[in-house]
Amino acid sequence: MHSENSKFQISWRTWSLIILVVLSWIVISGRLIFLQYIGHRQFASVVARQQVCKEKIPARPGDILDRNGRLLATTIVTNSLYMIPQELKNQKNVSEVCTVLSINQEYFQDRLKKNQDKMFLWVKRRLTDDELAGVRSLNLPDKAWGFRQEYRRKYPQGALAAHALGLRDIDGKGQGGIEEAFDHLICGQNGHRFLVRDAHGRVIEVRNDAREAARNGETLVVTLDSIIQLYAERELESILEKWRPKSACAIVMDVKTCEVLALASVPTFNLNHPENISETAWKNTAIASIYEPGSTLKPFIVAAALERGLLKTEEQFDCERGEYQMGKRLLHDHHSYGMLSVTDILVKSSNIGMAKIGERLTNAGLYEAVTAFGFGQKTGVQLPGELTGIVRPLEKWNIYSTGSIPMGQEIAVTPIQLITAHVALANQGKLLNPRLIRDQIDHNYYPRSHEEPEQVRPLVSTPVISEEVADWLVSVPMVETVSRGTGMKAQLEGYTVFGKTGTAQKPDPQTGRYSSQLHVSSFICGAPAHDPRVLVLVVVNEPSVGPNHYGGTIAGPPAAEILNKTLMYLRVPFDKSGQKPLRQMTDRPRNALR
Amino acid sequence: MLFRFGSAILLAVAISLIGIGLEKESLKLKRQVSRQHYQLEVLINAHAKMKLATQRAGSPGQVLNSIERGELDVKSNRRPASTNRREMPLLQWHLNRSSKANKK
Repeated sequence: MHSENSKFQISWRTWSLIILVVLSWIVISGRLIFLQYIGHRQFASVVARQQVCKEKIPARPGDILDRNGRLLATTIVTNSLYMIPQELKNQKNVSEVCTVLSINQEYFQDRLKKNQDKMFLWVKRRLTDDELAGVRSLNLPDKAWGFRQEYRRKYPQGALAAHALGLRDIDGKGQGGIEEAFDHLICGQNGHRFLVRDAHGRVIEVRNDAREAARNGETLVVTLDSIIQLYAERELESILEKWRPKSACAIVMDVKTCEVLALASVPTFNLNHPENISETAWKNTAIASIYEPGSTLKPFIVAAALERGLLKTEEQFDCERGEYQMGKRLLHDHHSYGMLSVTDILVKSSNIGMAKIGERLTNAGLYEAVTAFGFGQKTGVQLPGELTGIVRPLEKWNIYSTGSIPMGQEIAVTPIQLITAHVALANQGKLLNPRLIRDQIDHNYYPRSHEEPEQVRPLVSTPVISEEVADWLVSVPMVETVSRGTGMKAQLEGYTVFGKTGTAQKPDPQTGRYSSQLHVSSFICGAPAHDPRVLVLVVVNEPSVGPNHYGGTIAGPPAAEILNKTLMYLRVPFDKSGQKPLRQMTDRPRNALR
Repeated sequence: MLFRFGSAILLAVAISLIGIGLEKESLKLKRQVSRQHYQLEVLINAHAKMKLATQRAGSPGQVLNSIERGELDVKSNRRPASTNRREMPLLQWHLNRSSKANKK
């Protein structure tokens, strides 16, 4: 019996084993239940974080083209070198990289020391092709060194239109010019995609299902013409060389549309080397500098007086032989004049004659005239940093203002304001907004739609004076200013040029009074007078060389040269009588640029 | 019975193999798409680089410098060469809207 019982009796060892196995199964099952049900979400997210990573697809910034499709700015892919300081084993590589990339080794070692426990450190961004080839030839270990692709902005025309274009900084953000003003269009919209990596970090799948494509930036067609821009910049360079001014600028505008054909400012800079830009060179003096316009303002005062019927074109004024007591102030002319017609007042730029016209208009009329032509407010040229100029409130004007404003003092304007106002005179009294953007197209250079985009829609045209007054001013006094007045040096062979000189004194910073040495010399001219096509303004700030700083002497010839080249380039026919008809000139050798 | 069991097993195996095959094909196509995306980016960049090089070589500054140095045998006109509107068809291939606006 005992033997039978003992046969079926399970020993304590067996029980222990069974219990152990069962417990193990319970623990394993419990753990599995925890992993599969309770902690599922948490672990799944950890796995997703380790395996799947979101990668940014950077949008390609759009190009900038000139009005004829010449490339002004584009974007290419470049490699940037980074390193992983934690993985760096061989210090020799560091010195080799520094040599190839022309990096100061001490400076880089210092950076490396500060970031030695980091997993990422930029060595140099946006390498050139030579630098890239140099680094590749070093065969650096993959664990510690690597490349990342980034977009790099390139400006194939170099320094051309530098101020108008602006540039994109190291992070691809627009700085200055069109790049900044239209950054929201040019930069596009970044996309993203998800990459699945294995345990070693290698990409095993690109998940296209959750991919959002990058939207490349828009390409902008600007109104600038590279060749006219080049003409303007070359003339400014010669002004810099000849007269050594602090700064100078030139603007060329299409009279019919108020499109800016050239906008140049010196000192300038090379867009492909932003590291060398000085603070003075960065300033776009065409829109961000103000000065007293001097005599270039006089046509607007005469226009306002004629428009209000306070003045007749055939009237004569006594210019008091060069001295005129106006209140407590004694006004002077450069030369002694007796009786002058309205035309002669403008042709000879008589301050006394203008002061007398100012007296007729009164301060209220003068204020209305300058504000009607857009002074004291932005022109809306679509560039950042544009200044409004200075037109003091009417309440602050006094008897001095009645004499000063008509001769272009007590008011400060920007060059772009002045040329825009003169375009109104040349355009039969219609004030337009200057345009810099001509079109907006996609990155393949196809128009987005048949409709004009918002920023290139036709502009608001405001009539400020009548056609008759505007035509008379352009075709009589302003033409005679060039043919026999202060702008004689701007005469051209085949075109009837109209223009106005300006020589404004600048205040001496030490005395606070007008200096006899510091001037802003300017000249504005256009042609052909019977049907103006192009207007050119040249402003020279503080020329320091030469016996006199008259606008007609300093700014006149370069402005006329730009005008002549522009008209020839645009194939505007000669308008002066006595010239050979154009059909007889067709056998002339053709020039690549004209 | 055995025949039915075998058939079921075979069917299951066949479906699995077809599934694996389809999955492989899908991955292959995905890889191709990714590769084409990459190649397109490479081509766009190559195009941009070539465009940059040609525009740089033919920039007005370069040409004008060459003329002034006497490297190009051309003279500048003293009068407008023609009264026809200047056209640059190679540069205006896709600028349809601007060209139309000009013609109007």
